[in-house]
Amino acid sequence: MIHFKNVSKFYPPDIVGLDAVNLRIEHGEFVSIVGQSGTGKSTLAKLLFAEERPSKGVVEIGGWDITKIRASDVPLLRRQIGVVFQDFKLLPKKTVYENIAFALQVAGIPSVRVREVVPRVLSIVGLDDKAHRFPQQLSGGEQQRVAIGRALVHQPKILVADEPTGNLDTLNSRDILELLKKINEFGTTVVLVTHDREIVNRLKRRVITLEGGKIVSDVEEGRYRL
Amino acid sequence: MMLTSTYRIIKFAFQNFWRNIWLSIITVSMLVLTLLTVNILLVVNRVTDQTIAFVENRIEVSVYFNEKTEQVKINDALTYFRTLPEVKDVQEISADEAFAIFKTRHANDADILNSLEELGKNPFGPTLIIKAHQAKDFDAIITALDHPRFRDDIRQRNFSDYQSIVSKIRKTTSEIRTGGMILSGIFFLIALLIIFNTVRVAIFIHREEIGIMRLVGASSNFIRAPFLVETIILSVFSILIVIAIMYPALALIEPKFSQYFGPGTTGLVSYFEQNGLLIFGTQFLALLIVTMGSTALAMRKHLKV
Repeated sequence: MIHFKNVSKFYPPDIVGLDAVNLRIEHGEFVSIVGQSGTGKSTLAKLLFAEERPSKGVVEIGGWDITKIRASDVPLLRRQIGVVFQDFKLLPKKTVYENIAFALQVAGIPSVRVREVVPRVLSIVGLDDKAHRFPQQLSGGEQQRVAIGRALVHQPKILVADEPTGNLDTLNSRDILELLKKINEFGTTVVLVTHDREIVNRLKRRVITLEGGKIVSDVEEGRYRL
Repeated sequence: MMLTSTYRIIKFAFQNFWRNIWLSIITVSMLVLTLLTVNILLVVNRVTDQTIAFVENRIEVSVYFNEKTEQVKINDALTYFRTLPEVKDVQEISADEAFAIFKTRHANDADILNSLEELGKNPFGPTLIIKAHQAKDFDAIITALDHPRFRDDIRQRNFSDYQSIVSKIRKTTSEIRTGGMILSGIFFLIALLIIFNTVRVAIFIHREEIGIMRLVGASSNFIRAPFLVETIILSVFSILIVIAIMYPALALIEPKFSQYFGPGTTGLVSYFEQNGLLIFGTQFLALLIVTMGSTALAMRKHLKV
């Protein structure tokens, strides 16, 4: 599903984001990428949805080499990869419903289909009753649910969550983790970038640890060991 | 899907327009000022052409012959002037006609009528009224009046320096036109800078939304198109406002010109009515090309998608 072949990423003047990373993630896996700040976790995530291009090596998603992906193909890739961030990235002047519908609208999906999909997604993320609230009227955990809902509308094969619990308390973090597990059970590959020890340890899934841009450990049913 | 996207692009463009209403008003104002200057130049052109035509229609020399000049000589002069290529028309007024015209013109002036009574005879000789084609033909006619065949029979010549009048009109018009062009150039430049800045500000205001659009898979065209559509909206509003100002303004000023040139001579309203589609259509197209160019430039510089 996801294949990193000897991938390196350098930033000028001499910063190493990733250093010769080889990695394979299969369809339906739930993988946590852990490591301290500046170890290349977010760089790895950005390479997945073509926000960054590798300096060396090849990145393949479902057999599609996205190393030198054309700008016009990036939107197609992003409709197949849902992305969630620590800061939610919601539009404050749009309601929960509108924020989720927005992802479909900008992709040119007909309104009839939007009206079908959005309530279903709202139900998955447990926000049916808050569809018409604005982001500032929601808790952090609820806002992250909206962001996850928006990431799900295109029924992506991969969901990349970059520090999704970074701004949340323990209770909300657990809720989000449960939601991600539920999404994974539906068959979506989940790549979770985090430095939240408790979350990783609760998951008991594959853990890849990065240090200095290199993979220092890759363990099935791993724990946070840094 | 295409139709849905087009509808949404237009919707987003209108949202941008209303959410930055003050910026939109300033931009439209500058575009309106620019277009108005261009249209004022058009009006000046039209009025100048009509003024010159009006003056040229009245280019004539009145040649007064001595009262005892024989009719043969008058006929000779008449034939001679009619053969000149610079002459459009020659009209003869006999001594009796000239006397009658003079009396009619001064019918209310008792002093003049009394003087004529005392004189006891017709003091007027025959008159030729010579009309030229253009102001520049005037010199040739004046020279022709010095022809030895009838030079000594001419008592008086009455003419104005039409060429100098026409030159003055042309000079003034040319100055107005240059000033107008400079002014419209300045307005145009300001309008372009404002549009560039409007788009830049809109991109800045919507940077979060643009980032999210990119994140969720919106195509570059879908992100860029609302900015271009917004430019079209700004241009449409500007041209409509200009049309709404121009026609009443023309209807208001046309009677003032008619006082000088006679009713319907400048034909400003009918000129704009007959050529409105061409005039405003061309202005709209030119405006659109330039404003969209400015928008494209602003997007290229500030909108990285």
